[in-house]
Amino acid sequence: MPSTDSHSPIIGDDPAYDAVIVGASLAGCAAAIQLGRAGLSVAVVEKQPDPNAFKRMCSHFIQASAVPTLERLELLEPIEAAGGQRPRVRIWTRWGWIEAPAERAARGVNLRREVLDPLVRKAAAATAGVEMLLGWSLERLLREGGGFGGIAVRNREGEERELRARLTVGADGRDSRTAELSGVPVKTYPHNRFAYGGYFEGGAPANAPDATAWFLDPQWCAAFPTDNDLTFYAAMPTKDRLPEFRKEPEAALVRFLSDVPEAPPIRAGRAIEPVIGKIEMTNRMRKPVAPGLALIGDAALATDPLFGVGCGWAIQSSEWLAESVMAALRGDESLEQGLERYRRRHRRELGAHAFFIHDYATGRKLNPAERLMFSAAARDPEMATRFDAFGTRQVRPQQAMPRLIPRAVAVNARHALAR
Amino acid sequence: MSTAAMEGVERGSLLAGGTRTRLLQAGPAEASEAVVFLHGNPGSADDWIGMAGAAAEAGRRAVAFDLPDFGETIAPSGFEHDVPGYARFVDQALTELGIEHAHLVLHDFGGPIGLAWAAMRPDAVASVTLIDTGLLPGYRWHVLARIWRTPVLGELFQATATRRAFRSLLNLREPRGLPREFAEAMYDHYDSRTRKAVLALYRATDDPGGMSEALIGLFAEREIPALVIWGEHDAYLPWSFAARQREAFPGAEVHVLPASGHWPFADAPETAERLLREFLEALPPDRG
Repeated sequence: MPSTDSHSPIIGDDPAYDAVIVGASLAGCAAAIQLGRAGLSVAVVEKQPDPNAFKRMCSHFIQASAVPTLERLELLEPIEAAGGQRPRVRIWTRWGWIEAPAERAARGVNLRREVLDPLVRKAAAATAGVEMLLGWSLERLLREGGGFGGIAVRNREGEERELRARLTVGADGRDSRTAELSGVPVKTYPHNRFAYGGYFEGGAPANAPDATAWFLDPQWCAAFPTDNDLTFYAAMPTKDRLPEFRKEPEAALVRFLSDVPEAPPIRAGRAIEPVIGKIEMTNRMRKPVAPGLALIGDAALATDPLFGVGCGWAIQSSEWLAESVMAALRGDESLEQGLERYRRRHRRELGAHAFFIHDYATGRKLNPAERLMFSAAARDPEMATRFDAFGTRQVRPQQAMPRLIPRAVAVNARHALAR
Repeated sequence: MSTAAMEGVERGSLLAGGTRTRLLQAGPAEASEAVVFLHGNPGSADDWIGMAGAAAEAGRRAVAFDLPDFGETIAPSGFEHDVPGYARFVDQALTELGIEHAHLVLHDFGGPIGLAWAAMRPDAVASVTLIDTGLLPGYRWHVLARIWRTPVLGELFQATATRRAFRSLLNLREPRGLPREFAEAMYDHYDSRTRKAVLALYRATDDPGGMSEALIGLFAEREIPALVIWGEHDAYLPWSFAARQREAFPGAEVHVLPASGHWPFADAPETAERLLREFLEALPPDRG
């Protein structure tokens, strides 16, 4: 029986699930919904006892790439009903605004995590076959044959349980303990920017609810209008700008955003809670599978928040995993085959995106190829549309580049001749 | 520059230090406390049209003038093209204008000149606004300055600085380029007299950070209100000096503009004018 109660009974002493998922945030809940709907038995373990817990340091932007998955999960409607916005993305560059024509621009989703997380968790808990165990922390991974076969968990009273499962899923974020305990290989990439952000009442940017990002090269800031007429304002400067933010986070954030070209009216707004920051954000790319185990969301790929891809990819990777292992969990093929399918899918979908993102996360300025593309996208609507499809992660770099580069060259050549 | 701010800025001239200089004035003309704008190199009183308007909007008297051998102003014979020489000229000009208390707004080489004047007349300084300039402890001259300071090479550079070369070089080092009319006017004023003055001024200034230590001590104890505006992409004076101005002006409000270069009042006029206006509005009213 699904329950969000932290003292939910565990049926039997040694239950065997088809899948046990560590982490009841976006990725974990989305995976649970899909596996549960397929008739599988799923346990979701979450260390936070509060069913309304939510991730605090997050821009909460869901890229358009994840919208089809949200629709399939039947979450898009409830999200919109809860006040979720459907923004396009406008980008300031020194060559002008990159803005795809309204009818062709992709629309993402903006709903505060404070509203989104409980909504998604509730949907997961209400899915037949899904058991939600809140207030339980991962203690260790259980071994089964040559791989992993579930987890041992402990609650705050010190009670320990073993949850056996054919598939163990780590959906426990950037600092994933599941990943750490599993010993999967990890690659790290330095991040030389830091992030500060907060919700403001009033002072919404022009074109709200569309989101606006300023690529100040190398500095970056953004405005994400969201539910309840709030705006999430964020800055991601290079680390040499840190002292001013550390000293007075809110004042520094407001000053930073007020001093950019075509600045948003942030000073007309009021922060509804303290502006918070994250200073160390080393990018981590982990091998997303091990025998009997898979990682989804940030646990698999914790990348630069600057591009607002984390939430969307958490949701999408849950779908890639569910689709990949469904046959195996139904007994139609080996789990090894299913996990290998997921590993390849994850790498194909995100590998090249991650490469470009990690390179820019060093805090460097735009390179000549990027300048070529940003400038052309600011000058040409067709280029802006293609750039938008790439930026909202609806096409992969390997698909996008052959369409972007020749047009960028042509647009800039025309521009140079016209001058 | 915003048109609103430009209205009410009047052009005139001023006899001071043995020469006639071009003068821009805005706001209450009789006030003895005024916002005094000192341009850099290359530059002239014209740099400040928008900013002077912003100061007037804050209810202040604003004055900007050409430094000798810049803009259209000819230096008198025997004029010393060095920081003390220019600081003496500023002092003479302010005396002529009847200004007893100055809110200094300094850019580029106007920085060392204005701060040298401030050291001469510390009691006359009401506030300081530093735009891509200030005290530069440990600063080593930028590459152009090193060229100007090298005999023969400097002359050769100045002789070959055609309009096209000047504009290309200028824009190459600015993140967004400068407004065309701004760059053109700058070149129009970059005549042979200015070119010679530039060589003399840079060659007379061996250590641009040299006076810093002494001045930091002098200013810091006076708690002078200060505003610092610096373009993060300044190719001549790095923005890392922006926060260091607090060593001399501990209460300084520091704004590093993330999309600006060496001339924020030209490439981000709305922001620069707003910051100056708000800074001046927050200061105590004129003393007279």
